[in-house]
Amino acid sequence: MSATVSPARMASSNPSESSRVEMEAWCPAGLLYLMGAAAGWLAIALALGFLDSLKFHAPGLLAGSSFWTYGRVHAAQNSALLYGFGVQAALGVGLWLLCRLGRTALAGPFVVFLGALVWNTAVTIGVLAILCGDNTGFESFEMPAICAPMLFGAYLLMGICALLTFHQRQPGPLYPSQWFVVGSLFWFPWIFSTAAILLLYTPVRGVLQAEIGWWYAHNLIWIFLGFSGLASGFYFIPKLLSRPLYSRQLAVMAFWMLAFFGSCGGIPDGAPLPSWIASVGVAGTVLTAIPMIAIAINFFQTARYNLNTLDANPTLRFTYVGLFFLFIAAAQQIVGALPQVSAITSLSWFGVAQRELFVLGFFGFSMFGAIYYIIPRLLRIDPETWCPYLLSAHFYLSAVGILISYAALLVGGIGQGILLADPGHSFVDVMRGTLTPLRVSTLGDLMLLAGTVVFLANFARVVGSWCCQCCMAMGKEGK
Amino acid sequence: MNSGPLLFLGLFAAMVFSWLGFVMEPQLQIGNLAQTNTVVVGDATSQTYPLAPSGDAHQGAEVYRANGCASCHTQMVRPAALGPDISHGWGVRRSVAEDYLFDQPVLLGSQRIGPDLANFGRRSDVIGILTRLYEPRILVPGSVMPSYRYMFEIRKIEGAKSTNALVLPDKIAPEAGYEVIPRPEARALAAYLLSLRKDGYLFEAPPPPLPKTNSAPAAAVKK
Repeated sequence: MSATVSPARMASSNPSESSRVEMEAWCPAGLLYLMGAAAGWLAIALALGFLDSLKFHAPGLLAGSSFWTYGRVHAAQNSALLYGFGVQAALGVGLWLLCRLGRTALAGPFVVFLGALVWNTAVTIGVLAILCGDNTGFESFEMPAICAPMLFGAYLLMGICALLTFHQRQPGPLYPSQWFVVGSLFWFPWIFSTAAILLLYTPVRGVLQAEIGWWYAHNLIWIFLGFSGLASGFYFIPKLLSRPLYSRQLAVMAFWMLAFFGSCGGIPDGAPLPSWIASVGVAGTVLTAIPMIAIAINFFQTARYNLNTLDANPTLRFTYVGLFFLFIAAAQQIVGALPQVSAITSLSWFGVAQRELFVLGFFGFSMFGAIYYIIPRLLRIDPETWCPYLLSAHFYLSAVGILISYAALLVGGIGQGILLADPGHSFVDVMRGTLTPLRVSTLGDLMLLAGTVVFLANFARVVGSWCCQCCMAMGKEGK
Repeated sequence: MNSGPLLFLGLFAAMVFSWLGFVMEPQLQIGNLAQTNTVVVGDATSQTYPLAPSGDAHQGAEVYRANGCASCHTQMVRPAALGPDISHGWGVRRSVAEDYLFDQPVLLGSQRIGPDLANFGRRSDVIGILTRLYEPRILVPGSVMPSYRYMFEIRKIEGAKSTNALVLPDKIAPEAGYEVIPRPEARALAAYLLSLRKDGYLFEAPPPPLPKTNSAPAAAVKK
């Protein structure tokens, strides 16, 4: 096994260009649906987030309607973001990577489509139920008990197809992206069923509910979404630079250390639990510094002499920026886990800023980078069909939006923590101190929303031009 | 790292590792907690702790959950070494696992846009709570808490004014001849918030030590 196996070589060596196109003729419907719906849900989530953000300017806004009260909109926004956008984007990109790297066709494309349909139905029901007041109360697991079996069933439909696709791969060494996709797809049903059973159907007693809720949310974001984003990075950077991955050994180490240590954590220090639980979490989180450094070295060494390609390729641009956000978010997570820091920053906007950077920044940018690459190949149309102006607008609006929102919330969070640590300040003073950063972050939220709407317009344009091509081709055949 | 089954086996091991540590072991350690007795402080007698909430408070907890109150309010007091919670008057002692035995679901929250509510019942009253729910900025100018007007009914006064009507400053009050009456969900929520008292001293959350003095304890002097 060579240490320098690259996806470029794997994808282009064996099957000829034409057979690769053949391979991808099968599954546009299911994957296109997953990716399109993901982007749609992201727009919904960002619109709900923008509404919530507006309430810091005018707390009396829509006060007469229970449907649009802050707490409900917040929960609905979080569910739309994680389950509507996060899981679907991860599945869409992950399934495509499994096909491409395994040099095989998607197993059961119809089942994937069906799974996506059920999944979207369940998320729609869940988000509406939350707005009507049926919220479980657990952060990142807000959708009511009725949605859990639908979500789980839909996931199994798609997950089994992923497993079969992985199983029918061409023999040969596994590429790091495959580990990360498999790890991510494998993780979700375990944590989701644990949370559903122990929080909703046979709830554990007392404060353990909160503990399991935190553990679930941490694993959903850091392992499930994190592994998906990394899978995309590990594929596209070497592939688009036509360079081998710098070190497979570093990737192996990072993968296992992240799986073991990254899955421990998420419990705030000082929570009403035996203190070893939070301490183990702190230890696990601090140890993720090692795999994060390994990943940074690996990507940097791979891309080192090729940073000038940044402008040329939208996928690379999104992926690089996404990884940049990952390293900031990871550094913040590690520093914020230290007890001396968390005494000040925990339970403040600090954590919200960090999560936003991870989910919308790292994961979101990685997924959009992948989607810009995948969709033209899925539909067998020219990648130039993406309108370059809309694409740039999406990139800059999102990147600047994230940075504004993140910086504002980070400053607000640290300020909130420092003021609160001084008993001389009343809580009302502290809260007033955070208002300016919060109001600034509204601008970032609006830019993110605008960026996603621009993406949807571009997406509609590409799918529309694909439909025209199909119609013309069918017309010619008819004559 | 080229064998599918080995990859799955490794991932399964990692998953089990995390699951045993964060789901199984905590359940074994504190999954079977039961009511206990408070530590005797001074002249007080020991009491059963915690007590089951009243029916009203139980319904109010559902209102609290449904409206996502936990997205802005936590219900946990961190120990003095790990945060300034106690010095802000949010509790007399840190919160411990026993405090939540009767909560279903347990809504600890994860962010403090508003103050911690673990002991809100110790520092509030029903009129204050209802007024705040209707218009938070009457009592706390500049507050960003939403108004929960949908939990109140504005109705025409027929005959005498209702004793349940909110007393509001002129700026906020409805037009003459109308009054603001809390709906059942507002009353239940107020009952729940008043029931929030996580303050029984327990073995693992003892009362603060008495200040050190040079004089002998009072009881010894009497003898």
